[in-house]
Amino acid sequence: MKWERADFRYEQPVEQTRRDYSFESADAGEFITKSLTNAYWFFISDVDGDNCPFRPSCSVFLLESVRETNVFQATFMFFDRFTRDVNLFKGKNHYPRLKNGYYFDPAVNYTLVSEKINYLPPGFVVDD
Amino acid sequence: MIKFFSIIILISPFFYCQSDSFDFFSSQNIKKFADHLYCEGDYLRAVEQYQSIQQSISDDTTDYKIIYAYSLTGYLQKSNELFKSISTESDLYPAAHLLSLKNQLLLNRKSILTESGVSDDSVYLRNLNKLRIISMLYDEELSYSRERFTYTFDEDEKIPVSKLYDEKFNPPNKDAIAAGVLSAIIPGSGKMYVGEWGDGIAALITTGLLAFLAVDNFEAGHDTRAWIFTALGGFFYIGNIYGSVAAAQIFNARIDFEFNAALNLFLEEKNYFVPVYDFCN
Repeated sequence: MKWERADFRYEQPVEQTRRDYSFESADAGEFITKSLTNAYWFFISDVDGDNCPFRPSCSVFLLESVRETNVFQATFMFFDRFTRDVNLFKGKNHYPRLKNGYYFDPAVNYTLVSEKINYLPPGFVVDD
Repeated sequence: MIKFFSIIILISPFFYCQSDSFDFFSSQNIKKFADHLYCEGDYLRAVEQYQSIQQSISDDTTDYKIIYAYSLTGYLQKSNELFKSISTESDLYPAAHLLSLKNQLLLNRKSILTESGVSDDSVYLRNLNKLRIISMLYDEELSYSRERFTYTFDEDEKIPVSKLYDEKFNPPNKDAIAAGVLSAIIPGSGKMYVGEWGDGIAALITTGLLAFLAVDNFEAGHDTRAWIFTALGGFFYIGNIYGSVAAAQIFNARIDFEFNAALNLFLEEKNYFVPVYDFCN
């Protein structure tokens, strides 16, 4: 036993394994968005890998935005998030982080309702 | 002979420690143990020991230590309930009163209603007034001028208190509408206005690039591609206006967060103007 191969695993659980593909939705807008997101997950994201530096990821951010607001406002929120993702210097003292290093950027902070904003400083580490 | 004496010397401590004459659980010894726990910072266990002997040994110092320990460990409500048991005749009553007001402030996060002092002690009255005035910073409105607000404080406290006053009533907030309008005129400029330079430049490049591709494709006669780039550019353009408004709101939330953090830090440094007694030396 002592000289046998050790069965260490260095894999980290990836977001794809926790994805919810169900179509439970409250309205037509959410149903359409969920369908598009499911298709994106299945055909693109799952194949491409876990590349989004944010949590929630951009696709989940869109779904959360639809749940928080409506499909039109959520679209603007999504394009704003996409622009922020394009920013090469986004990691520098900007977002709080999860323990695993992802930037924490929930949709609820962007609904334009000041009372809902839960500001956390950049150095803050959020429990996953 | 040597063996005999060695055995006697070694055995006698065993008899002594088994003796009934030493009562570990006497009130005095429990109090000593509780004092030790208190000085080690093991407050809740100290309180447990103090309360077990409260029937036999009761003094205002122990009562004060209990309410102070409860306050330090976050049991603010309990601390305030026990404050009522402290005699108004006690020398520690003014300090206990300030401690109860500190608890009240931490529980409610709003200004302490004007209370008259419970003693003529000038230091206590001054601290009471400082705590009452600084607590007004938790309210949304204040009728005091800055000079009147800072008047009660000592010279070394005036500068930080004055700064807190300015941050509360003249916060360097950004106008969300102005941010949106700026981004509508020049994409990304609203984000730059709120200090998000990286996001602003990213928005400017993205929108500018898509606009260029749309125009270039229209000029080249590739209408389908041109319309796709136009639609994408439009979404990015509106998303950037929306994002600028949201960024201004988040900036203002940050200002509010930083103000509260600074106020709490100042009060912690001043121990909420509650006098600190050294019961351990």
